Amino acid sequence: MIQNPIITMENVHKSYGDLEVLKGIDLQVYPGEVISLIGSSGSGKSTLLRCLNHLEKISKGTIIIDGIHLDESSRHINQIRREVGMVFQQFNLFPHMTVLQNVMEAPIRVLKRDRSDVKKQALTLLKKVGLQDKAEVYPKKLSGGQQQRVAIARALAMNPKIMLFDEPTSALDPELVNEVLLVMKELVAEGMTMLVVTHEMSFARDASDRVIYMSNGIIEETGSPDEIFHHPKSQKLKNFLVSIK
Amino acid sequence: MLDFTLVQKYIPFLIKASWVTLEISILSILIGLILGLVIVLMKISSIKPLSLFADFYIWVLRGTPMLVQLFLVYFGLPQLGIELSPFLASLIALGMNAGAYMAEIFRGGIQSIPKGQMEAALSLGMDYPTIMRRIILPQAFRVSIPGIGNESITLLKDSSLASLVTVSELMMTSQRFASSNYAFIEFYITAAIFYLIMTTLLTFVLRRIESKLAVAD
Repeated sequence: MIQNPIITMENVHKSYGDLEVLKGIDLQVYPGEVISLIGSSGSGKSTLLRCLNHLEKISKGTIIIDGIHLDESSRHINQIRREVGMVFQQFNLFPHMTVLQNVMEAPIRVLKRDRSDVKKQALTLLKKVGLQDKAEVYPKKLSGGQQQRVAIARALAMNPKIMLFDEPTSALDPELVNEVLLVMKELVAEGMTMLVVTHEMSFARDASDRVIYMSNGIIEETGSPDEIFHHPKSQKLKNFLVSIK
Repeated sequence: MLDFTLVQKYIPFLIKASWVTLEISILSILIGLILGLVIVLMKISSIKPLSLFADFYIWVLRGTPMLVQLFLVYFGLPQLGIELSPFLASLIALGMNAGAYMAEIFRGGIQSIPKGQMEAALSLGMDYPTIMRRIILPQAFRVSIPGIGNESITLLKDSSLASLVTVSELMMTSQRFASSNYAFIEFYITAAIFYLIMTTLLTFVLRRIESKLAVAD
């Protein structure tokens, strides 16, 4: 690639007390890239994602996103959070707000955008995730898959340059996984830069440009889906692929 | 012998005194709610002196009798040159006491909100005051309503302490009529019934608020 990376991580460490969860991560992500992070639980892949929007504070190293240095400055942190959307395993919709209010909240409060413009955009986004008829409904009335699609719309309403997905389908009943993956694949087709922590190997294989296999807080192996799934090099990755079969 | 007909002609006075009781109770509930909110925000703040002050406030106000607090305000403050009317002194004492309990109720409510709510709001770029005001507190308030209801009922009953600093509320008034007529049972039972009516009404109002807010869930 000739472009500059939109995300640069250099020697990123993260510890909780004596427990080191990330042991020196170097990663560059280019605009439009879709990266799947795989690995067994506890390998540090979710932590890596959460460091990118400062939900976790890194212990050592450098993170630069879209030219902004992610340091302790709260101005920088908020600037980055506006550009980086996140979708959580547990959806985390605001239960006291309707679906539409959920989507409209951040653009109005954070970007101070005009309410009627935001509403128009929110309805377009809800249409995009197939939930325009649920705009006035409260999240509790929705299935898990529907809630997650609203959560995606809510993140997109900030017009982010990067989307982070932290196990977006892990809390869903199997029959609801696909509707969420479909929306994610649509984003892939639109050229969104995405980092996806997932156990859905089909998504990692079919939809991503690059797959990162993490183990014990380091990037053990990285490559194209074909390289990772069909020509794994390290023994750890080979074992992992067998274990999830 | 007991003679409840005796009470009859005093009923208008008792109703008037009940209004004073309601006034003290409702105003001190409101003071308690506002104070409780301020104290809980101090308590959960990352600024150490604020949270220590909140701890201290709750520790003292919950750990000492309300009557002592009331006497300090009404009889103690004039010694420092601050003269308060009996009504105002009662409001301040009851309100400050309620503030400590409301703060603890709110804290429970805030702690019951899943961490993911804060994280989702942060990830959308919202700042702390906005997250508190728009996301956390509205949810925490709903969770707190049963606790607020209990505290309000306690406060309504405790407003009878104001009779000890000469506020002419229901208890004070009943006492006066009881002794002048030498009819303690009659007047105190009547007072109890009046209190019961008021706490029942309060419970009813709180239930209505609760069910109205619960629509979203």
